[in-house]
Amino acid sequence: MELRINQKTYQVDADADTPLLWVIRDDLGMTGTKYGCGLAQCGACSVLVDGNVVRSCVTPVAGVVGREVTTIEAIESDEVGKRVVSTWVDLQVAQCGYCQSGQVMAATALLKQNPKPSDAQIEAAMVNLCRCGTYNAIHAAVHELAGKGDA
Amino acid sequence: MNVRIDPSQQASVLDLHEPINVSRRRFLTGTAVGALVLGFGLPLGTTRVQAAVAAATAERGTQVPAFLEIRPDNRVRLLCPFMEGGQGTFTAMAQIVGEELDADPSTFLVEAAPPGEAYVVLENGMRITGGSMSVRMSYPVMRRLGALARAMLLQAGAQQLGVPVSELSTEPGKVVHANSGRSLAYGELAERAMDLPVPDPASVKLRDPSQFRWIGKPVKRLDAYDKSTGKALYSIDLKVDDMLHAAVQHAPRLGMTVGNLRNEEQVKAMKGVHSVHRLPGAVAVVAERWWHAKRAVEAIQVDWQEPTAESKVRPMPADFSSDAWFKRLAEDKGPAKDDEHEGDVAAILKETKTRIDATYHNQYLNHGQLEPPSALARFNPDGSLEVWLPNQAPDMFRADIAKRTGLDTSRITLHSPLLGGFFGRHFLYDSASPYPQAIELAKAVGRPVKLIWSREEEFLRDVLRPVAAVNFRAALDSDGWPLAIEAISATEGPTEALAGKQGEKLDPTALEGLSGKSYAIPNKRIAQIYVKGPAMLGYWRSVGNSLNDFFYESFLDELADKGGKDPFDLRLHLLRDNKRLTTLLQAVGELSGGWKRGPFTAEDGSKRARGVAMASPFGTETAVIAEVSIENGQVKVHDIWQAIDPGSIVNPAIVEAQVNGAVALGLSQTLVEEAVWMDGKPRARNYDLYPILPPARMARVHVRVVESGEKMGGIGEPPLPAVAPAVANAVAALTGQRVRSLPMSRHTFT
Amino acid sequence: MNNSRFARTAGWLAVPCLVAAGLLAWYVTREPVSRLETHQIAVADIDPALVARGEYVARLSDCVACHSVPGGAPFAGGLEMATPLGSIHATNITPDTETGIGHYSLADFDRAVRHGVAPDSRRLYPAMPYPSYAKLSDDDVRALYAFFMKGVAPVKQANIPSAIPFPLNLRWPIALWNGVFVDAEPYAAKPSQDEQWNRGAYLVQGAGHCGSCHTPRGLAFNEKALDESGKPYLAGALLDGWYAPSLRDDHNTGLGRWSEAEIVQFLKTGRNKHAVVYGSMTEAFNNSTQFMSDDDLSAIAHYLKSLPGDRERDGAPWQYQAVSAAQRLDSPGAHTYVTRCASCHGLDGKGQSEWMPPLAGATSALAKESASAINITLNGSQRVVAAGVPDAYRMPAFREQLSDQQIAEVLTFMRSTWGNQSTAVDAQTVGKLREHTDPASSSPIILQMR
Repeated sequence: MELRINQKTYQVDADADTPLLWVIRDDLGMTGTKYGCGLAQCGACSVLVDGNVVRSCVTPVAGVVGREVTTIEAIESDEVGKRVVSTWVDLQVAQCGYCQSGQVMAATALLKQNPKPSDAQIEAAMVNLCRCGTYNAIHAAVHELAGKGDA
Repeated sequence: MNVRIDPSQQASVLDLHEPINVSRRRFLTGTAVGALVLGFGLPLGTTRVQAAVAAATAERGTQVPAFLEIRPDNRVRLLCPFMEGGQGTFTAMAQIVGEELDADPSTFLVEAAPPGEAYVVLENGMRITGGSMSVRMSYPVMRRLGALARAMLLQAGAQQLGVPVSELSTEPGKVVHANSGRSLAYGELAERAMDLPVPDPASVKLRDPSQFRWIGKPVKRLDAYDKSTGKALYSIDLKVDDMLHAAVQHAPRLGMTVGNLRNEEQVKAMKGVHSVHRLPGAVAVVAERWWHAKRAVEAIQVDWQEPTAESKVRPMPADFSSDAWFKRLAEDKGPAKDDEHEGDVAAILKETKTRIDATYHNQYLNHGQLEPPSALARFNPDGSLEVWLPNQAPDMFRADIAKRTGLDTSRITLHSPLLGGFFGRHFLYDSASPYPQAIELAKAVGRPVKLIWSREEEFLRDVLRPVAAVNFRAALDSDGWPLAIEAISATEGPTEALAGKQGEKLDPTALEGLSGKSYAIPNKRIAQIYVKGPAMLGYWRSVGNSLNDFFYESFLDELADKGGKDPFDLRLHLLRDNKRLTTLLQAVGELSGGWKRGPFTAEDGSKRARGVAMASPFGTETAVIAEVSIENGQVKVHDIWQAIDPGSIVNPAIVEAQVNGAVALGLSQTLVEEAVWMDGKPRARNYDLYPILPPARMARVHVRVVESGEKMGGIGEPPLPAVAPAVANAVAALTGQRVRSLPMSRHTFT
Repeated sequence: MNNSRFARTAGWLAVPCLVAAGLLAWYVTREPVSRLETHQIAVADIDPALVARGEYVARLSDCVACHSVPGGAPFAGGLEMATPLGSIHATNITPDTETGIGHYSLADFDRAVRHGVAPDSRRLYPAMPYPSYAKLSDDDVRALYAFFMKGVAPVKQANIPSAIPFPLNLRWPIALWNGVFVDAEPYAAKPSQDEQWNRGAYLVQGAGHCGSCHTPRGLAFNEKALDESGKPYLAGALLDGWYAPSLRDDHNTGLGRWSEAEIVQFLKTGRNKHAVVYGSMTEAFNNSTQFMSDDDLSAIAHYLKSLPGDRERDGAPWQYQAVSAAQRLDSPGAHTYVTRCASCHGLDGKGQSEWMPPLAGATSALAKESASAINITLNGSQRVVAAGVPDAYRMPAFREQLSDQQIAEVLTFMRSTWGNQSTAVDAQTVGKLREHTDPASSSPIILQMR
């Protein structure tokens, strides 16, 4: 099947029900998107599909044919994504870093759709798990990006 | 905008494709005297094993070439004795070495060093990343390492410039001759410095702390950008040429063995399957893609056999239940071995008018690091073995691999990629790591194999944070002050569990947090009843303190209440002769805007209260105040104020991040986490039934670092233990309900 | 009234009473006549083809679901069934002569399967679906007997006595129950219908015993109808914490929107664009329906589609209404939906093809009974094992993450969005189910037949 990932076209030979995550990681060799749980619980595998954040571990690859997938590898080619990364670095969000690809994708999706999200929208969007406990740093980064100051 | 990511290029980002030819390295020739390496063009991940082994007799941390490589572009590559798993040790080491080397930490490339005696830099002679030891126990040695390298560069500069070394000084990244105005970048000197001997360690002078540029400053983490853009590589991400993928299905209970595979032929015929394998206590599928391996291995119908008497692992009985185990521990009457015993506890407890008795217990926990365990193994054409695996102790892992494979350690190359969290998960635990399986599979198929444990397999085989039931008894004097305290803990410490027995001495990791308290209570007895359990145990962030401080500090509040004392005042009273802890406790009170217990009504109208607790883990002192309310029957923690005194610190920003992280894990175990076992099996096999703290339940965290100047303590673990009791004490103040077991989700609050 | 007169009257009365009691005693302890009384087969002579045929009938009948437990020997019994009176355990039906059914003649076997009476005239609890199996043909019973005698390995494993206390453990009243509720005749083809319909009816009413779960039960725990002649037949029922939906042509809560081909796909692969098997149906699929021949599945689909729906019960036909859950963040439950459910089921509630079922228009979202929706939210799904391969995706259990109130709210949201119009869910109902259910195993459970 033909996939559009990071504005490039790939021919992929995978079963229709293969999770997008494993196509990205193993077939296409892009390892920035992480496997954490395989059960849509942690969000480490978050990518964008047509600008919406999805958990690629529970996204059968057949469902993204004809749609535009963006992974963390291309995040800086997006205006908003670039700002998110730069704020993430400025605020020193990452610890072990394993969940951060997904966190950055979630924040980017949120801010692309809504540059000035409400607190409730932020809370509903930033739900990925982090075992290192970077939640407060993530919160501060998203609030800064949303122009809310360090709330 | 177009960003082109070529898959083939992506895969080759890692230069792992050929075995590393160690003999071409000059410093590997077996002399203890090395030279700085001009590392240009050499593959990353080069080992310096031989140099390290040969250097065994030298003074600790002086093999400069084993650690440092200065490149023509002035970048400094540091092979770090410690693993980076989020705690910031790579950045801290760059700060420490850079400070003395006189090189900006931002010019450092840091990687984990291979196994080898040269990298044993801790004052206790170990090479582990754990126990919050890295900075505090290698600090002077790593500073001296930087100073030695600087001396070599100065020497090289003197030769090159033809001036006496005494006329030279350094500025970040260069040697400067002030008299002539000339200077040479480190990168220009590296080649010459390579041929110089390492100076006498005693000859170098360390920088005066008042002159520090980077130590003690919030230097930016070196890995922040890579980790924010998916570029950071973890074990699970690695790939080598011709590699196959593997997945396993473990026996439902440890110790069971593989019997008949009912549908082996069907599974072999599944798409992408290379082969099906029987392993000790597991079956495996090797495939071209991990997803194929995972689905195929799940499809195998195994007739699992009950463990036999010869089982080499701790067999899990079919009737094991964690709830029943807590009861059994609480009812255990001994015999107990004393760890601390002062005064006449028994007599006072017998005679006192005011006795307080209480029984506490805690819960099993999983590590839950977000990176599932994996291992990549490759046998090279010459029969040598390379393994990439997450670990907190490379030499121990290599020795274990040597034991398992019969290969000499010199034939084993061990790589230690970044850890996607660890919290104690990646010590050497028999039966809890994928590398023995990966090695066996690589050998069987004659190709490199990367094995990933699915999250479900990880929850099945992860080692557990130990549990204890503690029976407390205490007596108050006529003024309501504690006169005697006794804590008898029925438990098995993690070190005891790894040994499979109780040692001559008590396992300090079993009782830490009950023992080692600084409160002036004249009569005390802390003792352990050793109870060997059926579950495999391991170290979990802050180890024994993670449970014992909850017990002790909660019980201390019970004593305060019984004696009519405010818990904050009680602690001040019991610490009246301890200046360091009095200062710390006052600091946290001040940080929180002045101690108030409540209950009080907050601005949003919710009824709230605060609790306080202290802990002394890993050479550091901590004090925590928590503010809670009850929301929909659940505990909501609004704020955590933490004052922490680790003596002195290297990076305040990382310290603050570590406090946040430890608080998150502390809240997680307090509020939601528990590994429940029933019928010999874990009920949870993923995060659905094993919730870890979600963002919505994180508290605001306020940190004050108190640098008392005392001996340096740890940072990674110490901010955790006082969180649970501070929250429990706040909940008791608010609701009148004394929580004597965790997590709080097991209790209902009104 | 003096004593002697009373005695005399009582004496007169005693005669009919004794006669009645005698008749009753005879009735409740009698051994019913088997149609196969004179057809005993010598086990040694059983033809392998008949064994294979019997194995297929055993698949159709899903014997393994109750008579085997995971990890246990096939058909050696042991599944615990909780009843309001106490729990009972399915028995050993391997051909072991001591603890199993090795000493059964074909007629004994027939009496147990089609009449619910063991060789000692003891009545079986109707947890054994003999009211349905009564419809099995003589040939199928004979084949089934052949399979159990020769295709199943004998296993010595004593039966676990039932925990039902005296006097409720007396079995003879069951005979009276049978007399009222069981029609003990094999299925008779309806000449007015074609062969496929009749085959479908035979499978659904007989071996498939679909009504055991899908037909509502009366006060005596009897299925209210045993075939299409009764309106309640397969009209949906609540059992064991799950709501087995209508299998009739109801647009919303039944199979009204499913084509025959989609029904076949569902029973064959465990999924189609409307739904994925879950709850008790997972067991029926894992152990039984996927092993049915395509012809039989088509016959079942054909028969089911002939059962008319009931507009009054079903309500106004559901129509999709486009709305993104993200736009409704202010309504209770939407926040939970967006953060916990939408990754798989979509902000639009449409699911992902046949892999993640839609919630928009889902039976569980339209049926008045909310048990299934609550149960799967609390406990997650069992693994669906199709053609030997466990599913790629499963539903997580949320009991440790969401409170009763949160689950009630998210389900209420789900049942009132995308055109779904059903009753709200309250926290108490969630709490009750939480107490009485356990999370589904995340490991595949495969019951072996050999």
